[in-house]
Amino acid sequence: EALCYIAYSARLGSQKDLGSNPPIDTNFVSSSLILSMLQATFPLFIKKKIHVTFLCFRNFFPKRTKELKSAVHSAPGWKLFGKVPPRENLQKASKIIQQEYEARIGRTCKPPLPSTRRKNFEFEPLSTTALILEDRPSNLPAKSVEEALRHRQEYDEMVAEAKKREIKEAHKRKQIMKERFKQEENIASAMVIWVNEILPNWEGMRGTRRVRELWWQGLPPSVRGKVWSLAVGNELNITPELYEIFLSRAKERWKSFSETSTENDVEGVSVADREASLELIKLDISRTFPSLYIFQKGGPYHDVLHSILGAYTCYRPDVGYVQGMSFIAAVLILNLEEADAFIAFANLLNKPCQLAFFRVDHSMMLKYFATFEVFFEENLSKLFLHFKSYSLTPDIYLIDWIFTLYSKSLPLDLACRVWDVFCRDGEEFLFRTGLGILRLYEDILLQMDFIHIAQFLTKLPEDITSEKLFSCIAAIQMQNSTKKWTQVFASVMKDIKEGDKNHSPALKS
Amino acid sequence: MAQMEGNTQPESASQQPYVFKVVLLGSSSVGKSSLAFRLIKNDFKEILPTLGCAFFTQMMEIDGSALKLEIWDTAGQEKYHSVCHLYFRGANAAVLVYDIADKDSFRRAQNWWKELENEFQPEEIVVILVGNKTDLEASREVTLEEGKAFAESKKLLFMETSAKLNYQVTEAFIAVARELLRREEENGGQSQQRSPSVDLKETARARKGKCCQD
Repeated sequence: EALCYIAYSARLGSQKDLGSNPPIDTNFVSSSLILSMLQATFPLFIKKKIHVTFLCFRNFFPKRTKELKSAVHSAPGWKLFGKVPPRENLQKASKIIQQEYEARIGRTCKPPLPSTRRKNFEFEPLSTTALILEDRPSNLPAKSVEEALRHRQEYDEMVAEAKKREIKEAHKRKQIMKERFKQEENIASAMVIWVNEILPNWEGMRGTRRVRELWWQGLPPSVRGKVWSLAVGNELNITPELYEIFLSRAKERWKSFSETSTENDVEGVSVADREASLELIKLDISRTFPSLYIFQKGGPYHDVLHSILGAYTCYRPDVGYVQGMSFIAAVLILNLEEADAFIAFANLLNKPCQLAFFRVDHSMMLKYFATFEVFFEENLSKLFLHFKSYSLTPDIYLIDWIFTLYSKSLPLDLACRVWDVFCRDGEEFLFRTGLGILRLYEDILLQMDFIHIAQFLTKLPEDITSEKLFSCIAAIQMQNSTKKWTQVFASVMKDIKEGDKNHSPALKS
Repeated sequence: MAQMEGNTQPESASQQPYVFKVVLLGSSSVGKSSLAFRLIKNDFKEILPTLGCAFFTQMMEIDGSALKLEIWDTAGQEKYHSVCHLYFRGANAAVLVYDIADKDSFRRAQNWWKELENEFQPEEIVVILVGNKTDLEASREVTLEEGKAFAESKKLLFMETSAKLNYQVTEAFIAVARELLRREEENGGQSQQRSPSVDLKETARARKGKCCQD
């Protein structure tokens, strides 16, 4: 409780105008609360990215702010800090810090101690004033009247300048706060619309213009998981019970694997078997969003990610575990409950495009790339020719993007926004996003050669913002003269089928 | 990022550098990306699994000759095999990486060798076998002799490394670079980059590429 209060009040303290206004999205408050606690625990690891990232998490504290205190005790968010009970840990730390602080203060100066820092600040200009306005030492000739006047004037100018700067900065800060507040208000009002109007009438409203436009703006974090689930659907009719069955099957296999592997040293077990035996999943889990520290061993979602991937390999042995899946599952886990995450995961991977990629069905992948290139040429012809001149094929950059649905290549909050519209528009939006990225960096890419383009696109700049990216995506036309994505894709399928005899069978695995 | 240009920029770059394509092949998590990261950034960290392919460039200077390695770091998972297959075309050198604490990865490296053998003439490609993770000595499954024996039987270069402890990583790439240069001089400039992705505009492009990074 104490900790909660510290973290919370620290935040309020820094943003009084925000904190005293209750109509903030509770989700935001709770995520920023977690953030501030995290910052206290792992100050080194927290980058600014995480702050935004947490905005897209499902409710760690599903209750309202007022009930925060009680919610905190049971909330899964507490596991965030791994095995060490974080509350004690943090409390201790802050207590120690406070003791140290008090000890130091006590030694250096006597009581009237509060906010020494602030005072110092006020003193500084005072001391300069004294210096400038004071008469010269007696062993030096006195200032002339003009000189004294000039100094006075110069000093006044300096003060005025500083004041102006301060006001400007304060204004800027206020502007930022205002912007943020507005954003929060937007999220809050969008959330109300989604919860009260759209979700209860899902089938009737999902296709309406108003909903589609609201959808494009990004889903509020608190309904994101729900909307994704609804949009992805459950064609496979998976139930939570079914998930439990596959999970227990996976657990059996883990058990038997760990027994045999210690006894006879994996000798004779083929690579394929080993991969199927879920070894690789273990390795990859700790490599999934490592900067978040929640999927790593001891982290709160480590086991959940392990379970979902394991259950999937039992559910779909024909697909098995393919690297890249861990990122998709992780993003779903951040937004949905375990069983729902599994259902969405399995259904998502069952979409034709995902199935083609995760089966590494090379000939199908080439068809997607070919379709992509049709729109590439149409939208960004100059860049298209540039890439062509270096024989830079889309697989170089699209494989990573499509396999992970951008969750590995874009900042997580931005990736979630791409997922939002992907859920609305389907596979074509993945390729449209790709074109949006190319458009965003067109000028730079036109200056680069093969290897630099490849480097650039497989590791995008981290400062990419959603406004810029989405305005570029919006500018991409997915209507090739007369044809839409699906039609172009169909004609590519036909073309390739006809020319199949000339195609190298080596392309297929 | 594109900024991964080497820091060993040769001063004697009066003539344009040789450009070689080097492809890293091997099972998943044997340390392919870590080797590249150690070479280029001289650092070690947790690396996300590579999907498809990742790219790096490194400038080197060997005996007064400047050369640029374009490193193609491929995905390790067996399932991505068909994809990786596309990426070693036109390579001048291949680094076959295995984990000395994982016998299976050694077998897989041998399989990669077979594939290269089918695709290339022996003089077309420089191949080095790299046993990585010597820091895991305690759980070693492939002896130094085994690795060496295989490399010798196939006339491959060989090195054991640790990307984690920075043991012989640069040395391995220098060995490759030396061999590439030696062959280059023997052939009188025939063996450089044959991949269609690189053409004669290399100098101009290289310079352009540099100024537009960041």
